Amino acid sequence: MPPMLPDFSNSVKLKYVKLGYQYLVNHIITLTLVPIMLGVSIEILRLGPQEILNLWNSLHFNLVQILCSAFLIIFVATVYFMSKPRTIYLVDYACFKPPVTCRVPFATFMEHSRLILKNNPKSVEFQMRILERSGLGEETCLPPAIHYIPPKPTMEAARGEAELVIFSAMDSLFKKTGLKPKDIDILIVNCSLFSPTPSLSAMVINKYKLRSNIKSFNLSGMGCSAGLISIDLARDLLQVHPNSNAVVVSTEIITPNYYQGNERAMLLPNCLFRMGGAAILLSNRRSERRRAKYRLVHVVRTHKGADDKAYRCVFEEEDKEGKVGISLSKDLMAIAGEALKSNITTMGPLVLPASEQLLFLLTLIGRKIFNPKWKPYIPDFKQAFEHFCIHAGGRAVIDELQKNLQLSTEHVEASRMTLHRFGNTSSSSLWYELNYIESKGRMKKGDRVWQIAFGSGFKCNSAVWKCNKTIKTPIDGPWADCIDRYPVHIPEIVKL
Amino acid sequence: MASITTSHSPSLSVTLHSKLTAVSSEPTGSGKTHHELSALDRAMAQHTLHMVFYYRDQDELFGLYDLDSWRESLSTVLTMYPTMTGRLLLEQGHDGNWQVRCNDAGVRVVKGSVDGTLSEWLNSATASQEKLLASWNHMPIDPTTWSPFRIQVSNFKEGGVAIGISCSHMLADLTCLASFIKSWTLVHRNLPITNPPSFTPLPFSPSPQPLSNGHAKPPPPQQAKDMANATFKFSSSTMQQCLSNIHDICPNATPFDFLCALFWTRISHLKPLKNNDQTHSLSICIDFRKKLLKEPIPFGYFGNALHFTMLSLEGEDLGSVVSAVNRHLAGIEEEEIRCAIERLGSSNRCMYGEELTCVCMESLPYEAKFSDNEKPVHVSCHVGNVAGKGLIMVMPSCEEGLARTVTVMLPHEELAELIKDEAILQLDPTTLLSDI
Repeated sequence: MPPMLPDFSNSVKLKYVKLGYQYLVNHIITLTLVPIMLGVSIEILRLGPQEILNLWNSLHFNLVQILCSAFLIIFVATVYFMSKPRTIYLVDYACFKPPVTCRVPFATFMEHSRLILKNNPKSVEFQMRILERSGLGEETCLPPAIHYIPPKPTMEAARGEAELVIFSAMDSLFKKTGLKPKDIDILIVNCSLFSPTPSLSAMVINKYKLRSNIKSFNLSGMGCSAGLISIDLARDLLQVHPNSNAVVVSTEIITPNYYQGNERAMLLPNCLFRMGGAAILLSNRRSERRRAKYRLVHVVRTHKGADDKAYRCVFEEEDKEGKVGISLSKDLMAIAGEALKSNITTMGPLVLPASEQLLFLLTLIGRKIFNPKWKPYIPDFKQAFEHFCIHAGGRAVIDELQKNLQLSTEHVEASRMTLHRFGNTSSSSLWYELNYIESKGRMKKGDRVWQIAFGSGFKCNSAVWKCNKTIKTPIDGPWADCIDRYPVHIPEIVKL
Repeated sequence: MASITTSHSPSLSVTLHSKLTAVSSEPTGSGKTHHELSALDRAMAQHTLHMVFYYRDQDELFGLYDLDSWRESLSTVLTMYPTMTGRLLLEQGHDGNWQVRCNDAGVRVVKGSVDGTLSEWLNSATASQEKLLASWNHMPIDPTTWSPFRIQVSNFKEGGVAIGISCSHMLADLTCLASFIKSWTLVHRNLPITNPPSFTPLPFSPSPQPLSNGHAKPPPPQQAKDMANATFKFSSSTMQQCLSNIHDICPNATPFDFLCALFWTRISHLKPLKNNDQTHSLSICIDFRKKLLKEPIPFGYFGNALHFTMLSLEGEDLGSVVSAVNRHLAGIEEEEIRCAIERLGSSNRCMYGEELTCVCMESLPYEAKFSDNEKPVHVSCHVGNVAGKGLIMVMPSCEEGLARTVTVMLPHEELAELIKDEAILQLDPTTLLSDI
């Protein structure tokens, strides 16, 4: 039909124009160098070998000049290699798989909620509405102490959960990598809400009898983005200490922080936070080059704490009855959007191909000089990365990021399915998502992964990894027994 | 002469520590959302069932509680029994009958401890103390958050554990309850299940009739009268002797026939006669799994498959009563069972105890072994809300072969007399868990 054809041919033409433009700008150096090289080689061929020899003889080198140039070249090369940052390899990682006894189906969660909050039917209704729209599935897990009626959040139970999660993940990591406990040089444990004395890192050192000169760190209170903060810390330490192994343990201990009151804003975390943990082995040893799964490319950290609203948006406080809980403010999404914009402004120049950066620059100049009404150009991050791991903080977070970054369903599939199968496991959710992508066989050598995490503060942290070798399925991990069932369709509202 | 232990150790008390909800290891899925209860199931609404399994627990499987492997095997086996983890609700519409919504909510698990050893308990605890080992929560008006199944794990001092399981009689009978515990132990030992549960409805059910008195209501919690319990254990050799004694009169008598007749005649002795009528009635309850000829119901059928049949007799000659019972039971046909089910009416009457009832339980709860080499030391069964005439339950014993355990529930005065009855004492029974 004649009227429709122009539209179709237009869009096809546009696509090719875009592709052509991208190819041109991204390979500009190659494209300019090639004609120059061609020109030079044609010139050489034209001159002939005799002419070249005459040219060479006329240069009048003497010994001092040759030695100086040689030293200069060696000096510059040494400075270059010395100042290059060490490559940080992610050898392997292990995620905690909760035991089946910890499973929390919707009906059980609502039943406990009704029995415990029997004097507050409105709060029960609120929890039901949250759970229906949460995007969680029927297989998420809560620690053993929370299955009691009423829950028994003693310190002993919290330590029990920490031991269960962390030791399980570490044992799994040792088995996968063949790492010996005495070879761990740096240990970083991050757990936001549970911080006993001695610390969780001391607990790990005690259990596995790690060396006495180990450099251990325990990060607490830093929220769901603490996992990437730990990776950043490990990276900095590995720059200073050559030939070292660093183990990072990311987890969140739910037992002591299960809110027991009935304030609605504080009941929200109860509906979303679930048990989970991950242990990651990073190394700067060159011997790990072959078997490492990923290479760390960038870590970008953005902190919006200077803004009062951002600072108070995820706040731990007491409710009217004196019960402690974490209150989430209503502007959480808006603040997350702002933090994300800040982060990608820094991240963009580091990872985007030249074509995107040029377009962004041109639109920026255009908006400033010509017409402020021009739409701001949102760079296409899909060209910079093959895979995205968005912290599974909740369905709204994933929806918001999908919209802002214009990602397709497949890009956010890992995040949505992790939210469905494991819930919001806080700092370790990024690792479950990465494992999902690997389990699906989508991770190939050279693929770039972008991990984005949000956390209280308000912080937005990103890490960029490059895949070092194609990962073959099937792999052993928390998704091993259920990956074939995924992806599942998650309805907007689950009828409870 | 058998000696009767009458001393009760007053220090034996049961403390309940905590309760939690155990869920299945896999979600039920969208396949089975509602389970219709049969007419027979609904007729049992007034009653509850309680079983207690006692183990020496030499392998200490029940020590840690939260991290024990029995918790995992429980979750795995619950996946196969979606009606156990569901919740009761009333059907929409004018019928207003009970049905089960299979929503995975889970079963309650209660942790208890006893401040005595297992041997002390079995020697001197009373039946009312034993009720604390299978503690029960009565159904509230709105049962959406009420668990119809309740498991209790009570630890004894110096080792030993009692696993109590209680449920509403609408959802299970003794056979499938014992079958569930056996499946649990098989899963625990990584063995295949011998009688997988089946939920296909009974081949005959009357069309659902509206209740005669409006909506179905939760059953009342109180017992009818001041009832007392006692348990008698008869050894295999004794039973062998008894059966050979009446071999001439009834050559193919089973231990059940004999014990049923014995207790019936002795209890009739004690009951006040009404209108000088010499006839005594007995309601015998049998399990008709695998007994139907045309389409046998699988042994794993999860639900009620009980048939109550009345027998009236004059005279007290043991031999003739045994043969009468034997003949009656042998003569039960499918037609009789079908008619009995079709005649079932509202769910507000007691099935046990309106006449003296005798329950025949031939399934083998002693096969439920958590370790490969440890059978339960003892298994007790109770029925809740039995009406005033009483209940006799004949069950297998720990000692295999012809040995049997008989639990009797009667009004207090009658039981006190029965315990001293010569005809019973002659058989040298071991009495335990008695309220007298």
